[in-house]
Amino acid sequence: MRNVKKIFGTDAQRYVALDGIDLEVASGEFVCLLGPSGCGKSTLLNILAGFDQPSEGAVEFEGAPVRGAGKDRVMFFQDAGSALLPWLSAEENVRFALRVRKLPREEWPAIIDKYLVMVDLKDHRHKFPAQLSGGMRQRLQIARALAVEPKVLLMDEPFAALDALTRRRMHGFLLDIWKRTGKTIVFVTHDIAEAVTLADRICVMSVGPGSRITEVVDVGLPRPRDLTDPQAAALFRRVEGSLTW
Amino acid sequence: MVGMRAPLLFGASILIALAAWQFLSSFVFNPFLIPPPLVVLQTAIPMVKSGEIFRHVAISMARVGVGFFTGCAAAIVLGVVLGRVKLVNELLDPVIELLRYLSPTAMIPIAVIWFGIGETSKYFLIFWGTFFIVLINTTAGVMRAPIIRQRAAACLGASPLQIFLLVVIPSAAPYIVTGMRIAMASSFMSIIPAEILAADSGIGFLLQNSSILLQTNRIFVALLTICVLGFAFDRLFRIAVDRMLSRYMSYIALT
Repeated sequence: MRNVKKIFGTDAQRYVALDGIDLEVASGEFVCLLGPSGCGKSTLLNILAGFDQPSEGAVEFEGAPVRGAGKDRVMFFQDAGSALLPWLSAEENVRFALRVRKLPREEWPAIIDKYLVMVDLKDHRHKFPAQLSGGMRQRLQIARALAVEPKVLLMDEPFAALDALTRRRMHGFLLDIWKRTGKTIVFVTHDIAEAVTLADRICVMSVGPGSRITEVVDVGLPRPRDLTDPQAAALFRRVEGSLTW
Repeated sequence: MVGMRAPLLFGASILIALAAWQFLSSFVFNPFLIPPPLVVLQTAIPMVKSGEIFRHVAISMARVGVGFFTGCAAAIVLGVVLGRVKLVNELLDPVIELLRYLSPTAMIPIAVIWFGIGETSKYFLIFWGTFFIVLINTTAGVMRAPIIRQRAAACLGASPLQIFLLVVIPSAAPYIVTGMRIAMASSFMSIIPAEILAADSGIGFLLQNSSILLQTNRIFVALLTICVLGFAFDRLFRIAVDRMLSRYMSYIALT
């Protein structure tokens, strides 16, 4: 994306949410957008997903401008309970993805099995989202997203509503899936530890209005990462130091 | 035994009420003004045997049925449009907000002039009452279909039509059904004044006719019939919804 600006409201009451964001994400890369509440992280992610258009600048995906939502870039929401279809069971939620993807029906059962096994929900396939725990719902959301075989996962604070232990498990889980599938991930968070644990690259955003990327930190530590390791701790402090609010 | 508690209490509640009624009308009030339950039962038996009561019930129910279902159908279609097309909503909402205060009862005089005292005027009045209740609920339900849910579906590659049919309409279903249930209760209430004022058959007519002839016992038969019918239809509606739409309804308490 180049020089993305987002301005809300009219001339009289304009609010410059994003003021010139430049970022290139490589295929297969894991990028975290880190910043405090109200820095426009979610606005930026909505633009990447195609839900929203930038006021200025351009977003390109594989050389073509992004126009609208599409299954090459699947958004992944914090509120899995809302994002999933609550009247469908776990299995049916994945089937819904295959249905809109227009795959031949004969292929469905194998694909549904594959992704439910991958997210470790095979034994819960007939349960409805309301009967699943928060972590299980997020895993189901992952399975449903992977079922359309996107190239990019856009994740909007997906684990922020989970308890600390479940979140840690989900981190290991997500990294495992990322390694196995080689997806590109753009992950929005306000949690420094989460960013340091997960990302190849951390883009620190300044608080709005007029938010921009103030610093890009290459993590370059081997995974799995131990945050008490001196190198990781130093990185944590460096990122913390670059945050403004 | 646990499962029996509710029906036992229900039966006890009815029995206590009947006993109190019998006592009050026999010893406290004038039994002509409030006929005791046993007298009402004596009056009801020949009306049931001759089929008189069923004729009135059938006529009233047919009126409620036609008005209710046409009203629901029209309201759901328009409600979905209002929920999805902002301009239509903005143009129609003020009118709807004004018109919905015209209860079916308020519309009786003009309905009689427009449609006479035949069936059409009753269909119209029930339609009128049903329409606005279901319309407002449907519009609200469609508008409140979570944006996240629609966006998530769009990401998966769902077309706008698929999002509409597979995400928005099911999300609105609980609102629509709730509106229909309220409208059904309202239909049972509005058919009575319509028949009292402008009909020669139906339960409302039975009430009015018995009143003119000072037959309080027959009035009470008609009143009890309304109670039982309304209650029975609401239960039937709930059972039908549980059978057919439970997966759309159950989550509402959980999310």
